[in-house]
Amino acid sequence: MTKQPPAKAIPERFIVRPATLWFDRFMNYFITVGGLSIIIAVSLIFVFILLQVLPLFRGAQVEPQDSFSVPQDDYVVMGTDEWAELPFFVNRRGELTFLDTVDPGGPHHRTAFTRAPAWLDETDVGVVVYNPLLSQLVYGTADGRFAILDVQYEATFPERGGREVSVELQETPLLSIGSTEVPVQHLAYGSSGTQAIVVVIQQVNERFEMHAVSLVQQRTLLGDGQWSVSQSYDLSEHLDAAPRHLLVPSDADAVLIGMDDGRVLFLHFDGQEFRKRQMFVPFRDRADRAIASMNFLLGDVSLVFTASCGANRIFSLYRDPQREVRVWGHTKTFPDLERGASFYSAAMRNKAFLIGDGRAASLRYGTTESIRWQDELPFSVSLAAIGPRYDRMLFLDDGHTLHSYRLDDPHPQASWRTFFGRIQYEGQAAPEFAWQSTGGRDDFERKLSLIPLIIGTLKGTFYAMIFALPIALLAAIYTSQFLRPGIKRFVKPVMEIMASLPSVVLGFLAALWLAPIISNAVPSVLLAVIAIVVAALVVGYLWGLLPQRIRVRLKPGYEFLAFVPVLLLVGYAGWQLGFVVERTFFIVPGESTGMQIADFRLWFPQATGLSFEQRNAFVVGFVMGFAVIPIIFTITEDALSNVPEAFRSGSLALGASRWQTAIRIVLPTASAGIFSAIMIGLGRAVGETMIVVMATGNTPVTEFNPFTGMRTLSANIAVELPEAPYLGTLYRTLFLGALVLFLMTFLVNTIAEILRQRLREKYRAVE
Amino acid sequence: MNDKRDSTFAASRGSGEIRQKRVQVGQRQKQTGNDAHARYIQVRDHSFFYGTTQVLYDLNMDIPERHVTALIGPSGCGKSTLLRNFNRMNDLIDGISHRGDILIDGRSIYDPYLEVISLRKRIGMVFQKSNPFPKSIYENIVYSLRVAGRNRRAELDETVERSLRAAALWDEVKDRLRETAFSLSGGQMQRLCIARAIANRPEILLMDEPCSALDPVATGKIEDLIHQLKEEYTIIIVTHNMQQAARVSDRTAFLYMGRLIEYNDTEKIFTNPTEEQTEAYVSGRFG
Ligand SMILES: Nc1ncnc2c1ncn2[C@@H]1O[C@H](COP(=O)(O)OP(=O)(O)OP(=O)(O)O)[C@@H](O)[C@H]1O
Ligand SMILES: [Mg+2]
Repeated sequence: MTKQPPAKAIPERFIVRPATLWFDRFMNYFITVGGLSIIIAVSLIFVFILLQVLPLFRGAQVEPQDSFSVPQDDYVVMGTDEWAELPFFVNRRGELTFLDTVDPGGPHHRTAFTRAPAWLDETDVGVVVYNPLLSQLVYGTADGRFAILDVQYEATFPERGGREVSVELQETPLLSIGSTEVPVQHLAYGSSGTQAIVVVIQQVNERFEMHAVSLVQQRTLLGDGQWSVSQSYDLSEHLDAAPRHLLVPSDADAVLIGMDDGRVLFLHFDGQEFRKRQMFVPFRDRADRAIASMNFLLGDVSLVFTASCGANRIFSLYRDPQREVRVWGHTKTFPDLERGASFYSAAMRNKAFLIGDGRAASLRYGTTESIRWQDELPFSVSLAAIGPRYDRMLFLDDGHTLHSYRLDDPHPQASWRTFFGRIQYEGQAAPEFAWQSTGGRDDFERKLSLIPLIIGTLKGTFYAMIFALPIALLAAIYTSQFLRPGIKRFVKPVMEIMASLPSVVLGFLAALWLAPIISNAVPSVLLAVIAIVVAALVVGYLWGLLPQRIRVRLKPGYEFLAFVPVLLLVGYAGWQLGFVVERTFFIVPGESTGMQIADFRLWFPQATGLSFEQRNAFVVGFVMGFAVIPIIFTITEDALSNVPEAFRSGSLALGASRWQTAIRIVLPTASAGIFSAIMIGLGRAVGETMIVVMATGNTPVTEFNPFTGMRTLSANIAVELPEAPYLGTLYRTLFLGALVLFLMTFLVNTIAEILRQRLREKYRAVE
Repeated sequence: MNDKRDSTFAASRGSGEIRQKRVQVGQRQKQTGNDAHARYIQVRDHSFFYGTTQVLYDLNMDIPERHVTALIGPSGCGKSTLLRNFNRMNDLIDGISHRGDILIDGRSIYDPYLEVISLRKRIGMVFQKSNPFPKSIYENIVYSLRVAGRNRRAELDETVERSLRAAALWDEVKDRLRETAFSLSGGQMQRLCIARAIANRPEILLMDEPCSALDPVATGKIEDLIHQLKEEYTIIIVTHNMQQAARVSDRTAFLYMGRLIEYNDTEKIFTNPTEEQTEAYVSGRFG
């Protein structure tokens, strides 16, 4: 239609088919999109892990929620049900006032109601203490008796939804203790279910008397029966100063008395007798040693002290290695409060405690010495309590208003120190890195240090690599540079099959077959290895000394035919010699018989003070080496074989030997590839899970002893993730471990890649 | 699909002392007479096989000392194979075999008691494609000294300068000896390889189409070089360039399909060849 001269038709043979162009473009996009999605996927994994981890490092969120007015009175104890819906207050006279915080004026038409033990009209109350864990009030009366009052909360879940909390009181009759008709000044009570003791202090004519009773519970057909006194003790002789604080742990095996002069007396009760075990001064180094407050932390093996000057310390029970008994020692120091504490409440789910004086309140965490929350309140606090679910804090101010604060602190234990620092846990004599995420008891202190796991990871990798690296690299050099191509064609695929062995199988073999063999014959294994290495060197040297007449008989590339039998023989000799060596040198006296026993497994711990486990790093290194060798070998072999032939012939033509050619020309030229091979092997070893899980005892240790096991980051995740409550502290900590692993490999790979690029640049072959 | 990564002379590695001496005794003999001089390298009924394929058929030729001998012939006729046999570089290839013998200075290179490494030290080789090592210019040249354990700084420096001057490269690279050899141009690299080949002062220099990738200027330089080197070295050169063969060589051998068709003084070959095939090949009517 246009006037243009018709373009000369392009001959068909020059025309590109549209499909070819289309496919080319499509593949272009496809590959770009593929590459990008991989990058995005990896980044998303990183972001996901990060999101799982970040909440660990958030502090506690606290905000005021509600306030209620409480009938005017002088309250000394505050307690609450699980949801803080029906808290109660006990006044000096011993009466309980319950406050309904859910529906004041609701269907029950009650805001507050009062209850009292029946015996109250009989006698007055001297002292009341409350044990929130047992939900028990213990009264000491003005006439030298005591009684226990169970505050039994019950929650029902009606069909219309919601929750209704009701309460019932159950009281024991009054039992006599100490001097009759003398008011009880201090009282402490502890019950472990099988053993219970009550300790009271009374003042008789200016002199302090301390009496204790142990209680037994009569079992009846209808269940738990009445407590009755089984034995009485007079402990007055121990009181050499005015007592101010009195505590009995829930195990009912001790009495702790804080004296006016700042000393703390620790009496131990073995079920029969009270014996003085320790006297200590928590604030020995302070000018004012007076103890303002002394309370247990959850579990009753840590004591939280404050001094009148405001100093705040924790003492914990630990095993004194000299005396072989448990004593109290200073373990934690917190930032000073302004003054000694006037209110205190320990959390019932973890090691947090709420402490303060007047308007200043502080929520602290015992294990980590950290302050979770701290604030100046708009009122002056007289009583405080942490909700049993650790989701609420209640403060009763001196104007008789109850303030309820919402507490959102899902991971109170998390801190840098928990994960990466040394912490002196309860029961330990010194700060240490430890991982122990679960224990038998609710009040168990979780140990979440990642350091043992990082060390375990490095340890496993280290032993795998010192075994795998020399073998894989030398094998690759030998195969690519010295071996006949005919044999090489057979060696490589075999190695590749080895690489595809599932690590479960390797782990299984390691755990059930190899570990017992090796642990039975450690000296033999070591000697066999040494013998083979030495023999290889010696045979190689002697071979060079042989007359050429004999040497030319063996065709080049087949030298291994002469070599392998010798090595096998020497290896076997080393193995046998190992038993002789064990019989000669590794002798220990038997524990029970006193006879001399030759056993390396017993000798090693005695000689070095380190322990010996059957499933140890030695075995893991050996077996993980098997997983890593084929990888390093194949990649290295490829790298070496890809060195241009021209380099090799150039070197050989100049009169270099095969070994010189391999070392001086081939290795440097292939160094970038070999480096990659090592790094990929390293990556495999770092991330390897199954072998470690199966072939070690998964003990988190912090030593490089080859004869103990380890727990690696990856194995830890595999072992613990199924047990970790979703989004809990442990769950997130496992993700933190994953993040550390991720960063470790990322760091190693990045450094490796930079070095590799440099090497490649340096030995780039011109084509 | 031969994997050339294999080597065959490990059997003769080590303990070379005595044998090297024997070879050296052999070297001296060349001075004894004119006859020995003209028959410095003797190829005797030499046949060569790659596996079962025969590529050289009963070759016989005497190569004189300190002359340039050119090997010419159409592609695939076996020139490189013959050249690589002189220093037993073909040993690297799997499944080779040979018949007949090659003697250098009266001594067989296939003698099982001969140290191949020492043979190769005695025979320098320049490859068709330049193959400098991924090292500095300096290290490339001193490589043959270093593998022999000679690391004295003065000797190395002296060798580098002498070799580079001999290869007409000194002036171009004397200020950049520590730079990587890959920074050189193609022609410079080829001359570097020549310098490297003569660093250890071999007696024989094998050159496989050394100028095939070079421009006329670089080619000219290398031809001048060959002229100079012949004062000191026995040179065997493979070339496809008839003018080059005519220019640089004293004797020329014409190979065709693995057979030696004609071997004579270069002048004779190019002006008045005996054989019809030679005539056709050198005049460009065939090939
Ligand atoms: N490694 C080898 N294995 C098997 N056959 C080979 C091998 N190298 C060369 N040949 C064969 O041997 C014959 C001679 O090869 P050679 O390389 O000696 O030829 P040439 O004369 O140098 O040729 P050109 O001038 O092209 O370099 C050829 O037919 C070739 O295919
Ligand atoms: Mg050739």
